Amino acid sequence: MIEVTDIHKRFGAVHALAGVSFTAADGRATALLGPNGAGKTTLMRTLVGLLSRDRGTVGIDGIDPAADPLGARRNIGLLTDQFGLYERLSTREYLRYFGRINGMDKAAIARRIDEVTELLGLDDILDRSCRGFSQGQRIKVALARTLLHRPRNLLLDEPTRGLDVMSTRALRRALAAMRAEGCCIILATHVMQEVTQLCDDVIVIAKGQTVAQGSPQELCRQTGIASLEDAFVHLVGTEEGIAA
Amino acid sequence: MKRHTTTPLWFVVMYKELLEALREKRTLTMLLMLTLLYPALVGFFLHTTIERSTRTEKAGIELAVIGGAQAPNLLAHLREKSVKVSERAPMDDTAIKALLSEKKFVGVLRLEPEFSSYYAEVRPAPLALWFDSSADKDEQRRELEGILRDYANGIAGARLEAHGVSPAVLVPLRLERYDTSDGAGGAGKRIGLYLGMFFVPVFLFGLSMAIDTTAGERERRSLEVLMAQPMRARELVAGKWLAASALAAIGLGCELIVAHGVLSLLPLEEMGLSWRLGLPMLAVVIVAALPLCLFVGAVQVALAMNSKTFKEAQASAGILTTLPMLPLLIMPMLDLSTQTWMYAVPVLGNQTMFQAIAAGKAIGALPYLLTCVLPLLLAWAAVEFAARRMRSEQYVMGI
Repeated sequence: MIEVTDIHKRFGAVHALAGVSFTAADGRATALLGPNGAGKTTLMRTLVGLLSRDRGTVGIDGIDPAADPLGARRNIGLLTDQFGLYERLSTREYLRYFGRINGMDKAAIARRIDEVTELLGLDDILDRSCRGFSQGQRIKVALARTLLHRPRNLLLDEPTRGLDVMSTRALRRALAAMRAEGCCIILATHVMQEVTQLCDDVIVIAKGQTVAQGSPQELCRQTGIASLEDAFVHLVGTEEGIAA
Repeated sequence: MKRHTTTPLWFVVMYKELLEALREKRTLTMLLMLTLLYPALVGFFLHTTIERSTRTEKAGIELAVIGGAQAPNLLAHLREKSVKVSERAPMDDTAIKALLSEKKFVGVLRLEPEFSSYYAEVRPAPLALWFDSSADKDEQRRELEGILRDYANGIAGARLEAHGVSPAVLVPLRLERYDTSDGAGGAGKRIGLYLGMFFVPVFLFGLSMAIDTTAGERERRSLEVLMAQPMRARELVAGKWLAASALAAIGLGCELIVAHGVLSLLPLEEMGLSWRLGLPMLAVVIVAALPLCLFVGAVQVALAMNSKTFKEAQASAGILTTLPMLPLLIMPMLDLSTQTWMYAVPVLGNQTMFQAIAAGKAIGALPYLLTCVLPLLLAWAAVEFAARRMRSEQYVMGI
């Protein structure tokens, strides 16, 4: 579970986070919606303890990442817009590397590699060097790394961009399975279809503030608009949010 | 999630960085070139320097003489003074130049056709000395001119004596020269300083890895993923530092083994030096150089992490590679004798140790200790700086 209460973060004159509050429950997928520059990346970096906050509280399964960043990170799988692949390592070696960093033993790593390979369809690229991978292959490997250590909380920044239909469906199945296992998933995305199909809750942030939280249906009801996309635009008060 | 393995995280990072580096052709080529080719080149340079320093003593003076039949006494005098005289048939200017370009002769002494008649008439007998000033035989030429001058003075003295005048009137001053240089010893000291050249590649072995794993990873934006893992900044930096240092240590170790072979082949005895090192002693020298490798790796990682871009990292770490050249340039200018503090200065310490071993001096334990302490302290400071830099928000915002 991820609990955020009124966090603020300022970089000089820029107020990147100006009062974000939400709760993302276990066993639920929560969409994080917001226009470009709304503060999503800053929020994710704050959640994993890479950035400190000026004010407010954060709890990752009750652990404050500012006080115990390593404890918080052990329970988080983070997928950002950068995949962080190494061209001279094979997919298997790459996954082993992150498995070892996350404290897994050899047997557990081998077992989980088999599982994520099946989950994401990585058989054909498992022993291939990451050099020359397509965008879809790269994101699948990065996802496999994110899921490898079975984190209780997943922070995913646009995980389906660049994926073909089959891979997107495989990812959705994987996320549904993780959710069923009680995982707390936060999904930053611009694809409204993904939100309606995958997510139980939606958090809308704009200009560093939470402007709404609830289920997709609740947001539509709240705004009196039938389409989630239109409701989102209405909530952020701009057309900028529609990127995908 | 609890950790189920006891493998230190710095080791995990180091292993991965080394695995990646050893799969890169550029790194391997660099390693091979610097471990094999570089000591051979330094060996060739040292050999040439030694050869040049001892050539004068060994070689004697070789002189080609044209028209020598006109002055048999002169030739006999030259031979008496150990000049190797080679009589030649008359030749024109072009042929003389061609002969001198072979760099074998110090000069060509041409006795003009009228030499004997002028000599008999007690007029200045014409003879010309042809030489090539670019041939690096100035000292031998001056010696030859001295011999000719002495011969001429001898003849002049004899002629004056025949006319009842004492030859002493021609010598109002009697100058004697005393050279206090210890000959090969001076050159030996210079060569001892050049031994430091074997430590120059330590700044190159791990350079590309130190930059690639920090500034490179930052520019490729894979660092954020790594920093978001349950691992301390210090462990991450330590892994990268130790990987770069390990590559430097492997490279330097191999290079010093090759250097040992090269030095064993050099005629160092002629310079008052020797290189009779057993393998255990060689191992001690290599182990004593490990702190230098750790220092270099740490400084390179810290500099690369402090750079905003990959190119800036290359430039700043590149400047660092000129550091080991400084003792090679400065020490001969200062002409300092070996002092204990020198062992505490990275590179200079290793160079001084190498020099002491080549001179056959027993240096005791303190120099070894000093050679290790300061580089290790500086390495620690650089790693702390790099870890602090990685934890800073400014750094996170830049990735």
